[in-house]
Amino acid sequence: MSLSSLSTLNSQLSNCVLCGTCRSVCPTFGVINREPASARGKVSLCSAFLNKEITLSERFIKHINECVLCAACEENCPNDVPVIDIILAARQEIFKKGKTDFSRIAVSKFFGSEKIGRNALKVASKIQNIFFKQVPEESGLHRRFPLPFVHGKRLAPRLAEKFFLEDRRQKTEVRSKKDKSQPRIGFFAGCLINYIYPNIGEASLNVLEKAGAFVVVPLDQSCCGMPAIGIGDIEGAKRLALKNLEAFEKYELEYIATACATCGDGLKKRFKELLADEGEDLQKRVENFSSKVRDITELLVNDLGIRQSPVSGLRSPVSIVTYHDPCHLSRGQGIKDEPRKLIEMSGHNFKEMKNPCKCCGMGGSFNITNYEFSMEINRKKALDIKSTGADIAATTCPGCIMQIKDGLHQLGVKAKVVHVVELITLNN
Amino acid sequence: MFSQNIIKELTNIVGRDNILTKREDLICYSYDATNQKFLPDVVVFPRGAEEISLILKMANFEDFPVIPRGAGSGFSGGSLPVEGGVVVSLERMNRILNIDTENLTAVVEPGVVTGEFQAEVESLGLFYPPDPSSLKFCTIGGNVAECAGGPRAVKYGVTKDYVLGLEVVLPTGETINTGAQTLKGVVGYDLTKLFVGSEGTLGIVTKIILKLLPLPATTKTMLAAFPDMKNAARAASSIISSKIIPSTMEFIDKNCVKCVEDYLNIGLPIDTDAILLIETDGDKDLAEKEADAMRKICLDNSAIEVKTAKDKREVKELWKARRAISPSLKKLNPDKINEDIVVPRNKIPDAIAGIQKIAEKYNLTIANFGHAGDGNIHVNVMIDKSNKDELSNAQKAVEEIFKLTLNLGGTISGEHGIGISKMPYIGMELSPAAIDVMKRVKQVFDPKGILNPGKIFPKGRE
Repeated sequence: MSLSSLSTLNSQLSNCVLCGTCRSVCPTFGVINREPASARGKVSLCSAFLNKEITLSERFIKHINECVLCAACEENCPNDVPVIDIILAARQEIFKKGKTDFSRIAVSKFFGSEKIGRNALKVASKIQNIFFKQVPEESGLHRRFPLPFVHGKRLAPRLAEKFFLEDRRQKTEVRSKKDKSQPRIGFFAGCLINYIYPNIGEASLNVLEKAGAFVVVPLDQSCCGMPAIGIGDIEGAKRLALKNLEAFEKYELEYIATACATCGDGLKKRFKELLADEGEDLQKRVENFSSKVRDITELLVNDLGIRQSPVSGLRSPVSIVTYHDPCHLSRGQGIKDEPRKLIEMSGHNFKEMKNPCKCCGMGGSFNITNYEFSMEINRKKALDIKSTGADIAATTCPGCIMQIKDGLHQLGVKAKVVHVVELITLNN
Repeated sequence: MFSQNIIKELTNIVGRDNILTKREDLICYSYDATNQKFLPDVVVFPRGAEEISLILKMANFEDFPVIPRGAGSGFSGGSLPVEGGVVVSLERMNRILNIDTENLTAVVEPGVVTGEFQAEVESLGLFYPPDPSSLKFCTIGGNVAECAGGPRAVKYGVTKDYVLGLEVVLPTGETINTGAQTLKGVVGYDLTKLFVGSEGTLGIVTKIILKLLPLPATTKTMLAAFPDMKNAARAASSIISSKIIPSTMEFIDKNCVKCVEDYLNIGLPIDTDAILLIETDGDKDLAEKEADAMRKICLDNSAIEVKTAKDKREVKELWKARRAISPSLKKLNPDKINEDIVVPRNKIPDAIAGIQKIAEKYNLTIANFGHAGDGNIHVNVMIDKSNKDELSNAQKAVEEIFKLTLNLGGTISGEHGIGISKMPYIGMELSPAAIDVMKRVKQVFDPKGILNPGKIFPKGRE
């Protein structure tokens, strides 16, 4: 159980022996090179807060917010200190006291609220050309003049002309005809696929169908709630979890697939924690829901057991492909082999980059509130990708895709950035 | 104590972005790996010797303590501001200034992370052997201050064996150079050796000239499991007496094996009493020959199994496990008193047996691991400090362990330093005259006692 309050994590806080191991793996420490950036520093600050040595001061909030939640510290901690839960708990304290800064709340609300998010983005999609100009040869935009939350250097993603879920509404939410032997799969899109990368959603549905599945896309699904959890808005995240639960419970499903590593991590782990105190009945429902959730790569490789079949007939030229492990997939869900297997099946040549599991620096809204910092972290990733000489950088998280595209663009590297499922359909 | 004027002056020296005075930041520079906390008044991040010199001159004039700090990963409290004052963090001075592939030397700033430096020289086919377990995050400056060792000491020695020269800012503010870029050099007193291991009490090191070796062509890594710690200790002694010098020879007792296996799940043999992790390196044929000989010695000493690491990944895992022992021991009990005694290598079996007796006498859990190759044993008395009886028993046990060590012809600290943790015991090993001359040395370098006060000598600042 986690997502608890800071005070209930007191004993875990004291498990930190201040050895300093986290300094060697923390991406934010790697940039700042100062102790408050390390997990050891943040844990000490949380202890000091609980002991009333410090308050929810601006400085405290700054240090607690300077974390991309990549969990590399946790993975390497010899004493299993639950650093992410500790930081999320601290952010809850900050949120409860109304001290979360506006831009963070804005990001979470934008995605979290159907009305604000969908409508605002729909308008934005129509008028984005006024504010942004297309970057030649790139699938991204540069701002035309100063805008709030949009850094001058940023290669902003183009909003989809038609959102993924909206597009589904006009066709039908049930993609394929029912056949009793077919595995029944519900597809969870997530905000970034819905608003920015519907192509990843389409590619996912195509691959799933080619793998013989019967796919449903529940249209009243919402944001997974991870942005809300990230800023400590637990109540907001709970509401979203409940909505999603209801949206998917309408169908009899064997699996719930997602092509977003962050959503997957949230749906598998955080839902249970969010709704842990809401009664036994609800707990059973969440348990049932979460047990069905699969990242699309694990679903294809492990559950549907696809082999060579969906990727036969390689059409496009063979490329060198490298793979970035999203934090929420590799550390969050323990999935590393499946995406690589799919890349191998795609017929392209796979080349491992240095430190594939190192965070890309996105960190959810961290990329918006601390853009330059976030890109500084990303620089190492971009350089690691560059030195593989790959034509394609594949990953399994639309957030990472957005971030890596931006980073490679700023470094002048021409490699395409795609989701692993796109490689498979590309070649069909 | 800290007037706005002093803070303003310090700000002028290091720049606004390189000084911290807010409590939230000071907390993050109040600790090291001893898990003790002392709040500094100010933290500064100087860029080089000039700025440090100004800070030290000011400290003499205004009379405030200055405490140099690397990564804060020390085990004896060397970087703790026990009397408050200004922490001089060397994290910003982290450049490798030069790697001379013709003369096999390098010049680095103190804030360079040891492991990163090693990776850099290894990419050039060179080798910097000192390998403290914290090498992924500790700094070379800290290693110099404490004269850090590591598993490779058995064959390659410790930090002091690689430091050819230093640039040091003295506590009174003058910057001096010691040693030379050359392997030989006898001009004047060997101040280099004096600074190495002086725990940041005699000066602040700002540049370090290091000796490098060619990277060995092959390394063979193996793991031998023994039914009894005595067998393992005997095997280690026999390897040395048969005139083989392994590049590392680490032993791990069953308490440690359990903790670290619990953390990493890499399939260490948890049902054995002791493990030896042995490496040999060098020319391929020779390394293989030595590995075979050592395997035979282990089996002759009742090893249950001897396994050779198959590939680099297995080697990496084994070392990750070895290096994680110390922090992961918390699983046994919340608090750790960790000592790093050294005995002559052939006395390891006696030391282990003696420590076991002391543990039984005081009913304590003591986990041992360490460097069988050089006689350095990490003795970890695992207690709950809130249990007053246990704490007082542990203190008695530590004293007896030190007595035992000295009776066996050893020393009470091999590589952690005295700092504040071993301060009460320094008189057990050193004579009053020896302590007195050391204090007089300190007096010469630091007449006002402003640099890292309250360390090494029980009376502290004088």
